[in-house]
Amino acid sequence: MSLFSFASIGNADVNFAGKTVTWVVPFKEGGGTSRFARFIQPFLKKYLPGNPDVQIMHIPGGGAIKGSNYFEKNAKADGTFIFGCSTSVIVNVATGNPLVKYNLSEYRPVVLLPQNTHWFTRSDLAEPHDLSKIKERKLVLYALKTPASADLFHIWIYEKLGIKGAKPIPGLSSSGGYQAFLRGEIHLSSHGAANYVKKVKPEIEKGKVVDLMTLGIIGADGSVSRNPLAPNAPTFPEMYEKVNGKKLEGDDLEAYYAIGAAWSQASKAMMLPADASDEIVKAYRDAAIKMTNDPEFKAKAVKALGPFPLIIGEEAGEIIKKAAVFSDTTKKQLNAALKKHKFTYRVQ
Amino acid sequence: MEQLLAALFQLFEPTHLAFLFAGTLLGLIVGILPGMGGTSGLALVLPFVFTMEPSHALAMMIGVLAPTTTSDTFPAVLMGVPGTAGSQATVMDGFPLSKKGMAARALSAAFSASLLGGIFGAFILSISIYYAIPIIMAFGFGEQFLLVVLALLMVGALTGDNLFKGIASCFLGLIIGSIGTAPITGDPRYTFDTLYLLEGVPLVVVGLGLFAIPEIVGLLDSKGSIAKSLNSKKGWFTGLKDVVKNWFLVLRCSTLGCLVGALPGLGGTVVDWIAYSHLKQTTKDTSQFGKGDIRGVIAPESANNAKEGGALIPTLIFGIPGSGNKVLLLGGFVLIGIEPGLDMVTTNLDLTYLMIWSLAIANILGAGICMGFSSQISKFTLVPYYILAPVMVCLIFFATFNINRDWYDFIGLLSFGIIGITFKNFGWSRPALLIGFFLSSKVELLSYQTQAVYGLSFLSRPVSVVLIILCLATIVLLTKQKFDNNYRSDLIKGKLTQIYYILILLCLPLSMIWFTSSLDYRANLFPISLSIIALSLLVFILIVKIADLKNLPFLNNTLMKFARSNIFEISGNFNNQLFYYLSFIGFLLMNFIFGFPIAAALFINIFILFHNRKAYVSSICISVALMVILWSLSSLLTLQFPNGLIGLFVDLPWWLGGQLN
Repeated sequence: MSLFSFASIGNADVNFAGKTVTWVVPFKEGGGTSRFARFIQPFLKKYLPGNPDVQIMHIPGGGAIKGSNYFEKNAKADGTFIFGCSTSVIVNVATGNPLVKYNLSEYRPVVLLPQNTHWFTRSDLAEPHDLSKIKERKLVLYALKTPASADLFHIWIYEKLGIKGAKPIPGLSSSGGYQAFLRGEIHLSSHGAANYVKKVKPEIEKGKVVDLMTLGIIGADGSVSRNPLAPNAPTFPEMYEKVNGKKLEGDDLEAYYAIGAAWSQASKAMMLPADASDEIVKAYRDAAIKMTNDPEFKAKAVKALGPFPLIIGEEAGEIIKKAAVFSDTTKKQLNAALKKHKFTYRVQ
Repeated sequence: MEQLLAALFQLFEPTHLAFLFAGTLLGLIVGILPGMGGTSGLALVLPFVFTMEPSHALAMMIGVLAPTTTSDTFPAVLMGVPGTAGSQATVMDGFPLSKKGMAARALSAAFSASLLGGIFGAFILSISIYYAIPIIMAFGFGEQFLLVVLALLMVGALTGDNLFKGIASCFLGLIIGSIGTAPITGDPRYTFDTLYLLEGVPLVVVGLGLFAIPEIVGLLDSKGSIAKSLNSKKGWFTGLKDVVKNWFLVLRCSTLGCLVGALPGLGGTVVDWIAYSHLKQTTKDTSQFGKGDIRGVIAPESANNAKEGGALIPTLIFGIPGSGNKVLLLGGFVLIGIEPGLDMVTTNLDLTYLMIWSLAIANILGAGICMGFSSQISKFTLVPYYILAPVMVCLIFFATFNINRDWYDFIGLLSFGIIGITFKNFGWSRPALLIGFFLSSKVELLSYQTQAVYGLSFLSRPVSVVLIILCLATIVLLTKQKFDNNYRSDLIKGKLTQIYYILILLCLPLSMIWFTSSLDYRANLFPISLSIIALSLLVFILIVKIADLKNLPFLNNTLMKFARSNIFEISGNFNNQLFYYLSFIGFLLMNFIFGFPIAAALFINIFILFHNRKAYVSSICISVALMVILWSLSSLLTLQFPNGLIGLFVDLPWWLGGQLN
C-alpha cells in the first residue's frame, strides 16, 4: 500500500504517448451522452499526459446495458479505456435490472456533468409556481416513456406532492410529450435544462406556459439551491414543504437525494474502470481540471453542456455510490408509487 | 426566408456538396440495377452515416433517394425492365421507343421530365413546411393513430398483387415489429430470453434482408443481361423538345405525383401508373400508347420524381413513412438524433431546408449526370450479374456488421432474406411488411395514448372524419383500377408450394399467441389482437387458394372473384433462387472461419469463377478493388471488419480482420 502511495506523488510514470484511449459510449450516436463525449474528446487529447488519440466507440442496445456490460468485460485498467455514463446507465443498476453485469458503484468517476429538470404547465391550468389548481383536477395527464427508466421518478415526485389525478401516458418521449402538451392533450410536462431554454422559455414569454418548479441543485453538503435558469421557481423541497406543511426529511429526503444524484448530479459522467490505479485517476482528474480552465472550453461549455459546473474529484465518487445504490426504504417508496399506478414493473 | 438561403449556402460548402454528390452517385447506381431502389441504397448507407455530422448525413441520404427514379429509366428503356418500382409504367412506351431506335430521345425526355418533376416536388415541400405548424397542432393522438392505421391499410391494399395478401403482409409486419420489450410494462415478448430479440431486429437488417437480398438472388436467377448499350445519341435534342412541348402534362403529372406521394402509405409504387392512366384519360388520340408514344415516358417520369418531395411531407412532420425507402430515411433520422414532428419546422428548420435544397440539387445533379454520361452509364446495364452479385453481397455483409458489430445481425439478415425471397416469389408485399414492422410500436403506443386521452370519441373529431373518408375513397378508386386485370390461374405452376407456404406463415401468429398469453394484459393485448386478425386473414387466403386450385364453383361471384385475383403468383424459379441463397449462407460460414476480408476475397473469386472460368482476371481485380475501398472506408470511419475464428489463434493485422487498435 505504501509503495503505491509513494508512486502517486508525481504522475510522471503515467504517459499515454502513442496510445489510443477508447471511450465506450453505451448509446447511439447523436444522443446526449455521445454529444457530451464528443465535446470533451479534443480537450482530453490536449491535456492527458502524452496526448493520446481518443476514439469514441458507440455500443447502443439493450437500454444501454449492452455497451455497459461490454465495458465491464473488456476495459483495461491502464487508462486506455473510459466509460460514458448517464442517468439511464445508473438507473439500470439502481433499479436492479437482472441483465446488468457492470459494477458501476466501484467505478472511478473523473467528471460528472449535472443537469436539472424543470416542471411546467399551461397558463390556463395554474398560476406560476402554484400547484393548488392542479391538485384539484380529477385528471392530470403526463408523459412517461417507460417505468424502467428515470421517468419512474416522475411517479414518485407527483405522489409526494399529492397530485391525486396524476396519470401517466405511456410511451411518450420527452419531445413527443412536449408536443402533446402544446396541443393541450396532457397537462403537466417537464424538460431538462437545454430543451427548457430552447423550447419552453419562448412559450413562457408568450404567456402560454407557466413554471411550476425545478428539481433543485444539490450541493456537496446536501443543501439545495434554486436553478439559475428559473431563479423564481421553487425547488422540489420547497414545493414539498408548501404542499405538505412540513420539511422534506427522513425517508423522503433520502429518496430525494438518491433520485437527485442519479437524475441531476450524475446526469452525464466520464469514468475509469473500478481497478484503475490512483495515479491514472489523478492524471485524468488533473486533465479535467486543466480542461475547465481552457479558454476555448470556457467559451463553448455553457452552450454545449449547459450552465451547471462540472463536478470533478472525490465527491463525484460519493454521488455515484448514492445514485447507484438505492436504500431499501427508497426502493420501497418507488415500488409503492409503481403499484399505485398499476405498473407491473418493480425496482429490485 | 434567411434560413432558407442560409441552408443553401451551407449546402454549397465543399464537404456538404461532396457528401451529396457521393450519395447521388450511389443513388444513380442502385437505380440502374433492376429491382434495387432507394430502399436498398439507403440500407447500405445507413450503417455508415452515424459517424457523420447530421447535416452531412442528411445531404447524403437525400442524395441517395432523389436520383434513383431518374436513373431507373436506363433499364426501363433499354431492357424493358423497370429499374425501381416507380418506373414500371415507363416501360410501357419507353421500351417500344428504344426498339424503334429512338432510345436517346426517350431517355432525354425522361431525364428532363424527371428533373422538372423533382424540382417541383422540392418546391411544393418547401411551401407546405410553412403551413405545417397548424397541421401538426391539429393532429392529436387520435388523428395520428388514424393516420398510421389508414397508411398501413393503404400500403397493404395497394402494394400487394392481391388485396388480402397485401393486408396480411402488413399484419405480419406489425406482429414481427411487436417482438421485443413491451412498451407499457417492459415485459419481454417473444424474445426467448435473448438480449438480441429484446431490442428487436435492427431496421437496416430488415431492410437489407427484405429488399436487397431477394433482388440479388432474382438477378442471378434471371441470368445474363439482354441489354444493349446506347450507341447513338441521335434524337437527344428531340427528347428535350418533347418535354418543352408537353410542359402542361409535366406540370399536371408532377402535381399528381406530389399529391399521391404525400398521402401517407401510398408512396412510390403506384404513382407512375396513376400518372399514366391520367395521361390516357386526358388524351384524345390514344392509338400510339404502348407502341412508343413519348408522352407515355414523360408522364410517369415527372410524377415519380415529384413524389419524393410530396412523400417527405408526412415523413418529416408526422414520422409516418410513405414508402419503404422513407422507413429507412426515418431510421437514419434516429441514428443522427433527429426526431420528426414539430421540431422539424421550428428548432430544426435549418435541417429541413437543407433537405429540401439537397433534394432539388440532387435531382439536378442526377439528371445532369445521366444526360452527360448516358452512353457510359448505360454500359452498367451490360455488367453480368454474376460479377455484380458477389460484390453486392460483400457490401451488404460489411454494412450489416457495422450496424451493431453483432454476429446475430447476420442471422437476422439471412432470415429476413429468405422471408423476402419467398414474399417476392409468392406475391406477398414486402413494402407492407417493412412498413408494418416499422410502425408497429407507434401503432401500439398511439392506441394506448388515444385511449387514455380520448377513449373512442376521437373518431368523431372533424379531422378524423375527413381522414376516414379520404382513405376509403382512395382505396376504392385505386383498387378498382389495380385489380381489374386479366388473371389467369391456369398459367401458374407450383401452386402447392404456395399453399404450404401459408401453413408456415400461420406459425408466426400462432406461436406469438402461445408465448405471450401468460403476460400481463397490457403487454399481450396488442400482439394477440394482431395475431388473431392475421390468422383470420391467412386462413381466408388459404381457403381461397385451395378453392382456386380445385376450381371450386363458389369462387365465381363478383366478390370472390376479387378475392381470387392474383391469389397465386407466377413464381420465378424458386429452387434456383434458393440455391443462390444457400451460397450466401456459405459466405457467412466463411466469415465465421476466416474473418471478413479473407472471406470476401475468396467469395468473390469463387463465385465469379463458378459462373465463368475464364474471368479470373476480372475476379481478382474486382476483389482487390473492393478490398481497397473497404480498407480506406474503415480506416476513415473507424469501422471494424468481422473477425473470424482464425483470429483467435493467429494475431492478424486489422486489415485482415484483427482488432482495430
